[in-house]
Amino acid sequence: MTMFGTNQLLVDKHVEFIQNLDKKQDGLEYWMTEHLRVSGIYWGLVALFLLDRPQALDHEQIISYVRGCQNADGGFGGHTHHDSHLLYTMSSVQILSMLNALDQIDGKKVTKYVLSLQQTNKQTNGQTIVCGDVWGEHDTRFAFIAMAVLSFFNTQDQLDTNGIVEYIRGAMNYDGGFGSKPGGESHAAQVYTCVAALAVAGRLDVVDRDRLSGWLAERQLLCGGMNGRPQKLEDVCYAWWVGSALDILRRRHWISAEKLVEFVVSAQDEKGGIADRPGDVADVYHTCFGIAGLSLVRYPGLNEVDPVYCMPRSVVRRLGLHKWQDKVPESWSQ
Amino acid sequence: MHGRRRQQEREPTQDELQQAKQRVDRYRTLNSHVMDLKATSVSTNDALDATKRLLEQNTELHTVWNYRRTIFTSLDEWQCQDTRQEMLDGELKFLLGIITKNIKSYWMWNHRMWALSSLPRPEWQRELGLVAKLLALDARNYHGWDYRRFVVAQLKDAATDKHEVDTQEFAFTTEQINHDCANHSAWHNRSKLLPEILAQRDEDGQLEVLQTENDLILNAIYTDPDDQNAWLYYDWLLDIQKSDEDRSRLLRNKIAAIREL
Repeated sequence: MTMFGTNQLLVDKHVEFIQNLDKKQDGLEYWMTEHLRVSGIYWGLVALFLLDRPQALDHEQIISYVRGCQNADGGFGGHTHHDSHLLYTMSSVQILSMLNALDQIDGKKVTKYVLSLQQTNKQTNGQTIVCGDVWGEHDTRFAFIAMAVLSFFNTQDQLDTNGIVEYIRGAMNYDGGFGSKPGGESHAAQVYTCVAALAVAGRLDVVDRDRLSGWLAERQLLCGGMNGRPQKLEDVCYAWWVGSALDILRRRHWISAEKLVEFVVSAQDEKGGIADRPGDVADVYHTCFGIAGLSLVRYPGLNEVDPVYCMPRSVVRRLGLHKWQDKVPESWSQ
Repeated sequence: MHGRRRQQEREPTQDELQQAKQRVDRYRTLNSHVMDLKATSVSTNDALDATKRLLEQNTELHTVWNYRRTIFTSLDEWQCQDTRQEMLDGELKFLLGIITKNIKSYWMWNHRMWALSSLPRPEWQRELGLVAKLLALDARNYHGWDYRRFVVAQLKDAATDKHEVDTQEFAFTTEQINHDCANHSAWHNRSKLLPEILAQRDEDGQLEVLQTENDLILNAIYTDPDDQNAWLYYDWLLDIQKSDEDRSRLLRNKIAAIREL
C-alpha cells in the first residue's frame, strides 16, 4: 500500500514510550492506575508485537508478575492482591499466550473460575448471563471474555454457548448495533465484543450484517477519525473497536483507510505514544488501539492483528484460535 | 486517559516536585493501609472510613469497593433492618457527593446498584429523579441510561400497573426527543418501549401511536436530514409493522418526506 507515507508512524518513539511506562513512578497517575496494571501491560505488549519489537520489554519479568496476579479462585486481578475479575483474567491470558507461557498456569483453574461466573440458573428468555466477578455485574463484554478465555484452553464447550448467544442477540438494537446488555444502547466497543463473541461461537448468523456495517461505517467522521456512537467525538481507540468489527463482517472497505491513517498518525505525540485525539496527552491504551487500528488497514511495517482476539495473527494461529475464520458465513466475502 | 490536552512542558520547580512527591506518598500510604486491612479481613468502622477516603480519591479501585461492601455486611448493624437502612442511606449520600466527578465510573454505579438492592426500603422514584437530573447535565451519558433502565425495571417489578411504568418512561423519551431530536440515547430507549406501548393498545390506539411516531421521526429528519439515526428508526418502524397496509402507509410517508427534502 503506497497511499500511506511510510515515515509517519514514530515507531522508535512509541517503543521508548512503552518501555518508559514503568519508570513514571514519580507521578500520581502511575499509582492511581495500579488496579489495571495487567491490562496496561497487555496494551503495551500488543503495540510492541504489532510494531515488530516484541523483545522491547522483559518477558520473564512480565510472566512472573502476571502469575503473581492470579488468586486462589483461579481468576486474575489487575495487580497483585487485587480481586479477580474477568477483565484482568482476559488480559493475563492474552499476555501469557503472546509470551508463549500459557502452559505456566493451570488452564483447569482458570476454566473453573470463568464457569463460576456463568449464571445458568438465571435464564430469562433463554439468555445466559456471564458476570464480571462475584459481585454480579453483567455485560456483553463478559460474555465475550468468557468465550475467548476458555477458547485459549479449548474448554469453551463447557459454557452454555447457546444461552450466551441468546443474551448477545438480546443486546442487538434497531440500528443493527449491540449494547452493554439487552436494552443497552448501541456502542462501538460493545459491537466489537458482541461480534467477536459471535465469531468465536460460530454464530455470526445472528448479526444483521448490512445494517450493522452501515452503522459502523457511519462512525467515521470527516476528519477520518471514528466515534463510538452517533454525534460523539472522534477517538483513536475506535479505529480498533469499529475496524475490528468491520473486519470480522468482511466490510473493512466500507471506511476510508487513508483518512483513518491520517487521523491516527496526527494523534501521535512526537515524544512518543498516541493520544485519543490530536493534541491530547498520549497513553498506552490509545497507543495500543491506534496501532491495532492501523494494522487492520494494513499500514506498512506492522504485523497483522487478529480482529477477534486483538493479538498478533501469528500468536492466534500458533494457538489454533484462528479457526473462527472458518465459521464466518460463506456468503460473506471481503 | 481521555480528553486531556498536552501542555507546554517546562521544568517543574523544586517546590512543585516536593508537592508532587507528597501527594504520591500520601496516596500510596493510604492505599497500602487499606490493602493491609483487607488482607487481614478487618471489618470495623475505621476500616470503612479508610476505604471511603481512598475511594474519594480514586473511584476505579474495584477491589476496595468490594472490600467496603464486605465490611458493611460483616458489621452488626447490617443485621437489623433499621440500622441497615441508615447505613445505606448514608452510603447513597456519599455516592451522590462523588457522582458528578466520576459519572463514567462503572464501579461506582455498580456500588450504587448494590446499595439500593440491599436497602430494606429503597426509594426507586427518588432514584429516577436523580437519574433525570444527571441526564439533564449529560443527555447521552451511557451509564446514566443503563442505570435508568435498571431503576425502571425495579419500579416495574414493584408496580401494580406495569403498563403505567412503560407509559411514563415512554413519555420521558418523548420529552428528551422534543428537547433535542438528535438524542439517540432517548430514541434507543424509545425503541425498546414502543413495542410494549403498541401491545397495550387496540387497533385504533396503535394507529394513533404510529402516527405520533411518524411525526416525531419526520421532525427529526427535517431538522437534520444527515442524522442517520432518524432514517434507521424509520426503517425499523417499517420492519415491526405486522400488516402490509401499515407498512405501505409508513413507506408512502417516508417517500413523501424524501421528495420534500
